[in-house]
Amino acid sequence: MVYLFQILNGLGLGVIYFLLAVGLSVIFGLLRFVNFAHGAFYMVGAYLTYEATRDGASFWLALPLAALGVAALAGLVEALLLRRVYKLDHAYHILVTVGVALVIQELTIIIWGPIGASVAPPSSLSGVLILGQFIYPQYRLFVIGFTAILALLLWWLLEGTRLGALVRAGSESAETMALLGFDTPRINTAVFALGAGLAGLAGALAAPIRGVEPFMAVEAVGVAFAVVVIGGMGSYLGALAASLLVGVIQGVMATLWPQGASLMIYLTMAALIAVRPRGLFGRA
Amino acid sequence: MLNRRSFLSQSALVGASLGWPGLVAAAPATVIGVPVPVSGAFAANGKFAVMGAALAAEEASAALGQPFKTLDLDTEGKPATGIRKIQDAVSQSGAKLFAGGVLSSEALAMGKEATKDGAVFFTTAGADEITGKDCNKGTFRWSVSTYGAIEQTVRPLLARLPKAKRWYTITPQYVFGEGLLSAAKNVFKDKGVEHVGNSYHSLSETEFSGYITNAIAANPDVLLLLNFGSQSSAALRQAISFGLKSRMTIVVAWASGLEQFQALGADLCDGVYFGAQYWHTVDAPGNLALVKAVKAKYNMAPNYSLAGSYIMTKLLAEAAAKAKTSDGPAVAKALEGLRYQGLTGEEEIRAADHQVIKDYYLLKGKAKSAMGDANDFADIVSRGKSFLSPEAAGCKMG
Amino acid sequence: MLNKPLTQFLLACALALILPLALKSGVLASEILVYGLAAAACNLLLSYTGLLSFGQGVFFGVGSYLAALLLTRAGVGAPLSLIACALVGAALATFVGAISIRRQGVYFVMLTLAFAQFFYFLAYTFQDVTGGDNGILDVPRPIIAGRALASPWSYYVFVAVVFLVLFAALLQATRSMFGRTLLAIRENEERAAAIGYPVKAFKIAAFALSGAVTGVAGGLDAMLIGGAPLSNIEYHSSETILIMTVIGGGNLIASLLGAGAYLILGDLLSDVWPRWLLLFGLFLIVVALFFQGGLWGLVELAARRSERADEAEA
Repeated sequence: MVYLFQILNGLGLGVIYFLLAVGLSVIFGLLRFVNFAHGAFYMVGAYLTYEATRDGASFWLALPLAALGVAALAGLVEALLLRRVYKLDHAYHILVTVGVALVIQELTIIIWGPIGASVAPPSSLSGVLILGQFIYPQYRLFVIGFTAILALLLWWLLEGTRLGALVRAGSESAETMALLGFDTPRINTAVFALGAGLAGLAGALAAPIRGVEPFMAVEAVGVAFAVVVIGGMGSYLGALAASLLVGVIQGVMATLWPQGASLMIYLTMAALIAVRPRGLFGRA
Repeated sequence: MLNRRSFLSQSALVGASLGWPGLVAAAPATVIGVPVPVSGAFAANGKFAVMGAALAAEEASAALGQPFKTLDLDTEGKPATGIRKIQDAVSQSGAKLFAGGVLSSEALAMGKEATKDGAVFFTTAGADEITGKDCNKGTFRWSVSTYGAIEQTVRPLLARLPKAKRWYTITPQYVFGEGLLSAAKNVFKDKGVEHVGNSYHSLSETEFSGYITNAIAANPDVLLLLNFGSQSSAALRQAISFGLKSRMTIVVAWASGLEQFQALGADLCDGVYFGAQYWHTVDAPGNLALVKAVKAKYNMAPNYSLAGSYIMTKLLAEAAAKAKTSDGPAVAKALEGLRYQGLTGEEEIRAADHQVIKDYYLLKGKAKSAMGDANDFADIVSRGKSFLSPEAAGCKMG
Repeated sequence: MLNKPLTQFLLACALALILPLALKSGVLASEILVYGLAAAACNLLLSYTGLLSFGQGVFFGVGSYLAALLLTRAGVGAPLSLIACALVGAALATFVGAISIRRQGVYFVMLTLAFAQFFYFLAYTFQDVTGGDNGILDVPRPIIAGRALASPWSYYVFVAVVFLVLFAALLQATRSMFGRTLLAIRENEERAAAIGYPVKAFKIAAFALSGAVTGVAGGLDAMLIGGAPLSNIEYHSSETILIMTVIGGGNLIASLLGAGAYLILGDLLSDVWPRWLLLFGLFLIVVALFFQGGLWGLVELAARRSERADEAEA
């Protein structure tokens, strides 16, 4: 019985991983860009939510504000810094994004201090749902439902719209796109901002669950990369399946062998790579 | 080429130099190194520790008639960096006195290094080995051990809640967590309490819903959290979001003090029990003076990081003044067996293992509406001293 | 001219001699050589083979654990321990390399990153061997001619000798047939394969050599700081080694410059401002955007300028 709860728990965890990782995956797919600043955008989303709700704004306002704020910040960073290194070796991607992540982390400490803070869930969702033995916070249920809707929207955006078609075409061949006269730099900026905005939204949604602190970025990056690798880089479906898988592994391991939970995630990653290097749904 | 910035306590120098300008200028200041994580994930501890040490050095300079200054050493939370900074401070700045070390790993490593270099290292870190199996001549610890922390939280709580017969524990899997857990199991056995389950988690865990689900399934009367820092905050937040506050009593055995209450906020802390090394409302002369001085200098209430760093720096300065040297073995000798009025009332540095014998506190968080001021998060429920003998702690001073 | 192996070796000797004069801290100087060695090994993969490995911390961490275990528990001497570090580092790198080179580009980077995380959690989980969060303590310094190298500078001499020997070995590898093949693979892998080079075997061999040298660096580090902390095998350790390599630039001596710049800058800045990582982050961004040849690129630029100035004078 407890395993069933843990699986549900894991799914709740997985949806946040999905929001966190799908942006990273899309950025990978289109830009072939290794983004170590992704966790920093997650953190900024959480802190913006904290700031807005502390100043009296409702959580429902804070949520879109955080996502848009992070998207704007990321768009700016992309246009000013990151696009200059796309063509360079991945080593420079790592160098510049590690630098950006450090700057954002330290600015966060300067603005909000080194001690973290709690963010209260909206009062309408602060209770728990009780079904027999099973107890689950209403807020986490909301996160699952909200992310499910968002996942569908995103699916439509990436598969059913012009932007999505351009993104997919761009992942195949950036040169063709440029030849056809598309403004690739602007599409790149838009996609980067979208991916980072999703990370910001993940941070905003996670804030009432885990609170905010200046070092939450680092831990987020690790999980996000694991999800992207397991799912296959650039794959929407892969990110979805892998994030739920990682969440469920973590949930079940909490009962089975907790101290090995993280080990198991990376073991899955290594094993998968050995038999199927492109990940669950990645293109070769 | 390595000019280290030194935190000269300006006001103390000005004050002193007004009285005896020639004399003060002639005596070189005794350096007290403060190796704490100022950057990295434990930056909060380092920030306040630096402030506490600076205040103590300033006061000691005025009170002891000889100048002290602190030297901030950023360990970045890494043992390797901590060791390097200690070695450099000894060889370049002539520092022989150190008060710092937040993480167990860095404190253990730095204590050994300081001793090797003929210096003294005073720490508040959680690892029992510091005054246990890895004890050594140059290392001292102010914080109560995991044994004392459990004795002073679980026992008084059982006295208050005689009906709480089923306990569940959540434990980080490393030496510190194991120490708390085994101490708790001893008390459970002694008191006939049923330990209905334990969840281990890794040191990098931030998601506790799985463990909380385990706890709910075991249906305990009390949930005892044995992790610390941001992990105990995350575990507590998530336990409360699962509605556990209304179903059971929640105890955080090793809270990090006021910093943690500020991070959690009053709503979450209300009704929760916390074990603490220090609390700013303790009614002891030494503490009242500190609260006043911190209010004047920093306009805040002293938290654990600040207070711990303050008292260690103060003790080192006084011991150096008494020994008339900052040489490690002599200062250690002056510290050994010392009884003094500290922040928690009368404290004693046990000679056999260099453990400070002091009170540990059980706090209970109060409702926001009941708070007297912005920092009045909790009431002291009980206090007391519990320590293993040096032999039982495993200390063989070589 | 500057890139010639012999020049590089002479520069390394010069730097090893200059460090004691320029720095007050023998520990910092030793650390620069230790990480310089690890970065050079990383660069063997990056600049000479075209493989961006995010897993070098694994070999470094395992090297420090192994040396610590052998020295404290098995009573093995320092030289033998370091040889063991090299062998185990090579074996581990062969394993990691063989799996990772199945993919290229970003995928390859991510695989090595996955290994870095995996081995970190492995070390954390098996606390009986690694000491878990506390790490392994009380690692002794090497004893040479009956005397322990307790003082920082006496140990520095030991590190410098090991550094120069291994650095020379790396240089020798790059100028050999083996090294030239690696470069050919980096330039055009398909062509190298078409000519008939066993590309995979060469890549794995490069990994093995890199892992061996990095393992020794880890072992030296354990003796330097007197312990093997968990942080040595953390993903940050891999990140640090990689960043040192990139800010250094495109040849082996550049990696020593990168390590030196990284550590000295960190040491200086951390004394200036608690939020020094902000400045450090800006430094990384500036290097990535404007100095893509790394610090070595600047050295070459300066050398070319002075050559041109000489020509103009003549």
